[in-house]
Amino acid sequence: MSDYPVLNRELSWIEFNARVLQVALKDSVPLLERLKFLGIVTSNFDEFFMVRVAGLKAAIGRGDHSLDASGASPEQLLAMVSARVKELVGIQYKCLAEHVLPGLAAAGMEILPPRRWSLGEKRYLEGYFSEKVFPLITPLRIEEDVFPSTGNLQLQCAFELETESGEKVYAIAQVPKNSGRFIPLPKQDDDDPDIFRFTLIEDLITSYASRLFPGHKVNSSLVFKVTRDADSGVDEDRQEDFLTAMEEVLAGRQNSTPVRLSVSGKAAALVAILQKGLGLGEIDTYRLNGPIDLSGFYDLASIEEKSHRKTNSKLRDKAWAPVVLPGPEGASVWDEIDSGDRLIHVPYESFGAIQRFLDEAADDPSVLAIKMTLYRTSGDSPVVKALIRAARNGKQVAVVVELKARFDEERNITWASTLEQAGAIVTYGVARLKVHAKVALAIRRTKDGAIHKYLHLSTGNYNEKTARGYSDLSIFTANDDLCREASALFNMLTGYSTIQPLTHLAVAPFDLKKRILSLIDREIQRSSPESPGLIEAKLNALADTDVIEAFYKASRAGVIVRLNVRGACTLLPGIPSLSDTIEVRSILGRYLEHSRIFHFRNGGLDEVYLSSADCLPRNLERRIELMFPVIDEGLQRVCVEIMATYFKDTDHAFRMLPDGSWEGVKPMEGEIPVSAQEQLYKRVKRMAEIAEAPPEQLQVRRRFKSD
Amino acid sequence: MSESTNQGVRHVKEAKAVPAANPVAAMEIGSTGIRLLIASIEATGGIKVLDRAGKPSRIGRDVFTQGNIGREAIRESIAVLASYRELLHGYGISPDETKVIATSALREASNRDTFIDRVALQTGFKIRIVEDIEENHLMYLAVQQALQDERKILSRSNSMILEVGGGTTEIMLLKHGKMMSSHSLHIGTLRLDEQMREAGASKNYLQEFLEGNIRTACDLMAEYMPLDSINSFIVIGSDARFAAYCVSGQNLGAYSILGREDFIAFAETISKLSIEECIATYHLPWAEAEGLSSGLAIESLFLARTGASQVIVPNVSIREGLLLAEVRGLDPAVEEELKQQVLASARALGKRFRYDEAHARSVSVLCLAIFDSLSKEHGLGYHERLLLETAAILHDIGTYIRASGHNKHGEYIVSNSEIFGLNRSDINIISNVVRYHRRSPPAPTHVNYISLPREDRIVVMKLSAILRVADALDRNHSGRMIDASFEKGSEKFLIRSTRNLDFSLERLSLADKGDLFEDVFGLVPTVL
Repeated sequence: MSDYPVLNRELSWIEFNARVLQVALKDSVPLLERLKFLGIVTSNFDEFFMVRVAGLKAAIGRGDHSLDASGASPEQLLAMVSARVKELVGIQYKCLAEHVLPGLAAAGMEILPPRRWSLGEKRYLEGYFSEKVFPLITPLRIEEDVFPSTGNLQLQCAFELETESGEKVYAIAQVPKNSGRFIPLPKQDDDDPDIFRFTLIEDLITSYASRLFPGHKVNSSLVFKVTRDADSGVDEDRQEDFLTAMEEVLAGRQNSTPVRLSVSGKAAALVAILQKGLGLGEIDTYRLNGPIDLSGFYDLASIEEKSHRKTNSKLRDKAWAPVVLPGPEGASVWDEIDSGDRLIHVPYESFGAIQRFLDEAADDPSVLAIKMTLYRTSGDSPVVKALIRAARNGKQVAVVVELKARFDEERNITWASTLEQAGAIVTYGVARLKVHAKVALAIRRTKDGAIHKYLHLSTGNYNEKTARGYSDLSIFTANDDLCREASALFNMLTGYSTIQPLTHLAVAPFDLKKRILSLIDREIQRSSPESPGLIEAKLNALADTDVIEAFYKASRAGVIVRLNVRGACTLLPGIPSLSDTIEVRSILGRYLEHSRIFHFRNGGLDEVYLSSADCLPRNLERRIELMFPVIDEGLQRVCVEIMATYFKDTDHAFRMLPDGSWEGVKPMEGEIPVSAQEQLYKRVKRMAEIAEAPPEQLQVRRRFKSD
Repeated sequence: MSESTNQGVRHVKEAKAVPAANPVAAMEIGSTGIRLLIASIEATGGIKVLDRAGKPSRIGRDVFTQGNIGREAIRESIAVLASYRELLHGYGISPDETKVIATSALREASNRDTFIDRVALQTGFKIRIVEDIEENHLMYLAVQQALQDERKILSRSNSMILEVGGGTTEIMLLKHGKMMSSHSLHIGTLRLDEQMREAGASKNYLQEFLEGNIRTACDLMAEYMPLDSINSFIVIGSDARFAAYCVSGQNLGAYSILGREDFIAFAETISKLSIEECIATYHLPWAEAEGLSSGLAIESLFLARTGASQVIVPNVSIREGLLLAEVRGLDPAVEEELKQQVLASARALGKRFRYDEAHARSVSVLCLAIFDSLSKEHGLGYHERLLLETAAILHDIGTYIRASGHNKHGEYIVSNSEIFGLNRSDINIISNVVRYHRRSPPAPTHVNYISLPREDRIVVMKLSAILRVADALDRNHSGRMIDASFEKGSEKFLIRSTRNLDFSLERLSLADKGDLFEDVFGLVPTVL
């Protein structure tokens, strides 16, 4: 237990998900977006239970009663987690049932429960079931000593059956995965072409269950889902991928220890049977008042797109097309970077700027080598295509790949071996340390034989898909010191060299944490009552106790600390004599906040750093992460301005209170709510407009001497 | 400055055409690791570092324990070199273009030729083993480059440049920025470890052992220069750099300065930690942590003997020196300075053996004048001229032992001494020239002569011929022929003095010693 007050990490994370839920509850948010956020709440909880709650249960299982930093034991925590999550899930489903679904229905997208199927629809569905669904279902009987496999996060149906002799029998059947969750109902002749009706596949199965069990009577049924321990190898930041989580299927680990049972339906006997078979209790059972697993519901959006409704902006957020800031006419990316460092802010700006760097590196004959880290990407990614092209063009391509062996086996291995076959050097990270740093380096030789290096350092992954939904910052630079140190870092990552001490870049797990702590310490030294120090930090999570302690110390010394933490934050702000000068905000808007920024006033010699790491022990001590300085003063000012913009948000922002709870930040009386993300987008658009305005040409008259 | 400088200016090497800004690479196969440096040479002649890499190697450990490089070490080293080849490929540098040197560990390995051969075959890198003295020379170049800003201070003080390696410790003593002497001691961090292990010794013993050895070494060095007069202590190597980083916590730039007491205190802190503790506290790789404690201990002991209040740690290695040596053709001034260092080192050696300084100077002047007037005939260049001058300075050094046969004693002394800036083959030539400055000329039975490569034998012949004549001209050590002028005739080499003196002594001497000259140049040296 720590000496100073901190929150429990699990509970703090749950409050993050509560904030995500708040977005879904907002009337001002378009309906499909609200639906999306309801789905994100579900997938976030899935991940949370698979990893964090599984950890708690495992601790309880082996009799570990040690207290965490906040002073709670695993049993206490489990109880608190269960209570709060149930509360939130209740709110989630209430929102779904009372606001979102009815709203969508009114707008022409309706999900019909069985009791509302018309006769015609019933006939159609029966046929659909027989033809398309029935062949895919394998019911399994629940025996006294044999409980069938229920997979992980798979939708299942459970049935209480009665034989002709009156014997009660229980069975389960997995909902087929690849048939789609939403079954479109046929349109009636007089239907408005813009009205879509669906029903859920699990409703279809439970309605026609008797077909599955000839000779039995179906007494009751319910739908359920089991969440299992995903093993410690899982990347805790999976919540980053909520947009892609729908694409991915969690393979493997289908039979590890159950951690949670989610049920929809009332059959008490069935619930008891399931609990017994899975070894779970009431504390682990979550009764949902609606369809299980909302994470797939955003698929409705893609169905909706097929309609003529594309111009209807009422259900969706108005898209903000990523901006491409034009550079000087005809200049190569090398000329641009040579003339000055550049800052890219996705998704407001397009990932294209980064893709262009990779494409030019691949195609420009003057480029000798490209080195980069790749974390979570796919085989058809243009990033990988550029690298393959580069290798085929005879350049030396060195890629440090982060393989999630557990979850991405096939996909990752395929594109990685394609790269190798094209001649690239592929290394699979450093033993025991996940490579989370995001860096790309191009080495180029100009005609005079001189070597030039161009460096890209980012807070976000080289993934054009996530670059459309996550906000991230990155820098292009040709700074000698940074380039040389990046080379040294790659030498270490690719095995050419042992660790070399670096002075500009800070690398976890070597000296990144030390650097942060010493920067905080320096700010304390430089702070005085007349001129208090200032630390601004934007992070995705803050739970490292050493860093928190340093912030508390800074606050006690009078340093102003402004924190913008998207997810879990176990520091408590505003506590007298501890954290008076600390303010914590959290922004949850249409884009997932992913960038990590640090700003230290440093007595007037401001310093700004960007980082790939969050302040979690796992990141700072068990991963390769990178924190890099923003050297260009103009770009420093831009970063500081970005951070200030977040603190002015009165639309999507939350403020943390000294007791650890959160409240929404509201605009003043009569003011329109300001959205930071919208402001940031507008800023980038303005810059594009200015850049595109044709420069005024001055006509110069001059007489030239004839030769 | 001495007369030779005037002639020196005329004979400064022609500057080579400035090479393209292509990147260059230097690699060192040392006793604790294999290290690579990739840099580009700037128009000013300075070095801009592009990339660095280093991996630990077992070579030193093997050689200092069993005398040869084991199979595992060979395999490992080749793997590292192969990975470096790959890294270099990313800069468009081929193994041929990379300068690869090896120092003490490979030098002492009984299977070094096999190793070099295998490396060449499997990786394409050609390794050149450097002698201690050349190591020193390269280190000096690197240090000089790094400490450019401190030049003024260095030129006013006495300094010691120290590098503690795995197998040897290299020391250079400079007086007012000029090389006085360079030394190579058989004390190294790995060697020490091995000796300790063999002796089954404890840490206390280590301290005593070190103190004893270092005291002996310091006493020896004190003959060249009193150590307490040294006020600049320059120490090179990763342990010193690490100490500088820890003590000041700052960006190193070209070099760092730390206080004497801070350095000693830090060395003491480290000596109390075990290797595991070092690794845990400072996140060092094993290979570095291993040698850290003994390296710093040795450095502290030397520091204590000097009067330096500060420790200067340049952020360079022998690899920078290697690259600088390659480009020295760019800068005639650097060449000239190095030449002065060689001569100063030779003179210091002469002093040690109580040579006749005036006579040596006279003979040098005469040698150079003769050399210059016959440049077409002998076809030798700047480097050979330097060797001649050095031989002239040292030719009578053997009289320290005994006048009779002093040319042979001189040969022995020279070939077993260290002259800064010259490598083994240079020393071999000079020692032979010293031997042949009197009495019998080279003969097939003379082993030291015959074992030289053919080109070197020819050089020895030519230089010895000139030295014999010059020595004859200063037979009475009076320097009275020093302003003579020389002219080639068709059959005679005419020597004219402005002084109106009786030169019978010189003529007699020439008759005796001019034989080789006649054979080599086909001219009879004649005093008019």
